[in-house]
Amino acid sequence: MKKQTKDNETPASAGVVAVKVDDLTVAYNYKPVLWDIDLEIPEGVLMAIVGPNGAGKSTLIKSILGILKPIAGSVAIYDKPYEKQRQLVAYVPQKGSVDWDFPTTALDVVMMGTYGSLGWIKRPGQKEKKAALEALEKVGMLPFKNRQISQLSGGQQQRIFLARALVQNASIYFMDEPFQGVDASTEIAIINILKALRKAGKTVIVVHHDLQTVPEYFDWVTFLNVKKIATGPVKDIFSDDNLTKTYGINYKVSIQE
Amino acid sequence: MMSSAQFEIQLIASLVAVACAIPGTFLVLRKMAMISDAISHSILPGIVIGFFITHDLNSPLLILLAALTGIITVILVEYIQKTGLVKEDTAIGLVFPALFSIGVIMIAKNANDVHLDVDAVLLGELAFAPFDRLLIGGTDVGPKSLWIVGTILLITITLLFTFFKELKVSTFDKGLAASLGFSPAIIHYGLMSVSSVTTVGAFDAVGAILVVALMIAPAAAAYLLTTDLKKMLGLSIGFGIFSAILGYWVAHWLDASISGSITSVLGLVFLLVYLFAPTKGIIAVMYREKQQRREVSLITFLLHLKNHDEISERHVKHLNEHINWQKVRSKSVLDLAQKNNMITIDNNIVSLTEKGDEFTSKAIDYIITNEDAQIEDMKDDFFLFRG
Repeated sequence: MKKQTKDNETPASAGVVAVKVDDLTVAYNYKPVLWDIDLEIPEGVLMAIVGPNGAGKSTLIKSILGILKPIAGSVAIYDKPYEKQRQLVAYVPQKGSVDWDFPTTALDVVMMGTYGSLGWIKRPGQKEKKAALEALEKVGMLPFKNRQISQLSGGQQQRIFLARALVQNASIYFMDEPFQGVDASTEIAIINILKALRKAGKTVIVVHHDLQTVPEYFDWVTFLNVKKIATGPVKDIFSDDNLTKTYGINYKVSIQE
Repeated sequence: MMSSAQFEIQLIASLVAVACAIPGTFLVLRKMAMISDAISHSILPGIVIGFFITHDLNSPLLILLAALTGIITVILVEYIQKTGLVKEDTAIGLVFPALFSIGVIMIAKNANDVHLDVDAVLLGELAFAPFDRLLIGGTDVGPKSLWIVGTILLITITLLFTFFKELKVSTFDKGLAASLGFSPAIIHYGLMSVSSVTTVGAFDAVGAILVVALMIAPAAAAYLLTTDLKKMLGLSIGFGIFSAILGYWVAHWLDASISGSITSVLGLVFLLVYLFAPTKGIIAVMYREKQQRREVSLITFLLHLKNHDEISERHVKHLNEHINWQKVRSKSVLDLAQKNNMITIDNNIVSLTEKGDEFTSKAIDYIITNEDAQIEDMKDDFFLFRG
């Protein structure tokens, strides 16, 4: 348990705000799915966004990344609009959001992570390939580099997505349910990489479903259910009270001390 | 010997095939095949209006006007779909007949002044293409449609080479493309514009129905043959050219419509690939399923042997009753096990060999650790003969 507490310590750089969300309201067809969200995510945290289905967790990430247009509010990445800070941000969408039958290989998917720094028109070369191979190595997928992506297991596909984010060499990582449909060994591999990223001073924001693992994996948490319920260090705010407020039922998660 | 008119027709048909195969590949991958059908029909009013203005089916202005109708189709479909009241396929089914019928009425109302009939629009008149020549300063430089299709193809290829990376990433993962700053909307409408212009340019030569076939069939066949986007593009182009040329000669021998013959060849090419593609073809899939069934039976059988030392459980005749199999199945599984040196049969009593025992133990390990997928890889090491 002692080791775990150490793992969960916030690095010294805390105090700088990596992501700031102000009065964000997002609607689909004029039906708000996020109401007036204010959120400050400090640099160097490993944060879970938790909440029930339909709480707007993915929507929050997509709005921060400019994929969805909010009807009100603003987002800042290190005090500047997202459009000016793209290079600092990497995004791992939900695994189910893409067609895994697409005719391409694991290596090629990881290479896509380099496209952002290349910009329009310029093509990836040896430097990008080398970076992609290194990222594949980090997630233990190098032997599969030439596999067609449909021939990978769910866990392997998720590792490829993670490698694609790593190759972006960003400061802030957004991940939409990276643990969904992966086996236990992949889950451990992924969380170890996320913890290593935090140790390197990166900020990692994860949409997460499994409440049981929140205290073990994360040091920061945001409770979301259309409105923001609470945000802060796991050890301070991961309480039955906040869980009940978020999930609307009497929720009890035994938090190990 | 081929006459120059014959050669020109085949050249035009081939260029059209290539110009269609390129956007077609991306339409297939984006699951938007139906939109090409919609565009090919709804550009009709654009062509008619363009024709009223220019009196020339090959005028660039007509092509732009008609392509614009194609874009409007896409926008209308998306708008109707976005309201959430109808699904996308319904929206497509609503928009293009409406626009197409406007075109049909416009032709009918002006039938006397307009040299344009619905048959020609649907089926094209490739056979007449060599007769409409482009004259520059009195010199004949070739058929007009050759120049038009050639220009469109050149633009398409240039765009493909320039924006290949952007097209690929936005087709595979729209969310990532957006977050990296490659606006998926720009790429989407870019692709729609190219598809529209190509459709209009090819329209005069091959007609509305063949345009759709040329866009979708080669790409759909290529998709079944490769797992590499560049190869898929190459194969689509190859299938397109092959069908265009073979289709021309089929029409020549049968004295039939060229566009009809090309379309038939395209259909045949797809059918052959659909049946015989090495891994994704229907026969390969069926064969694999059969093999899979037998191999699962084999593993079940080996597990049974490993779990039971009693002689009664290992008698050949009792296997049918114990694992509840038909005789035929038991026999084929026994044969497979023997061929692979997994078992020995002594006096009708089945025993695992050392190899069979090792294989089974490993399989059990993988099954209890929930790594069934590993069994597949293991089969390559152990099996001399597959199921």
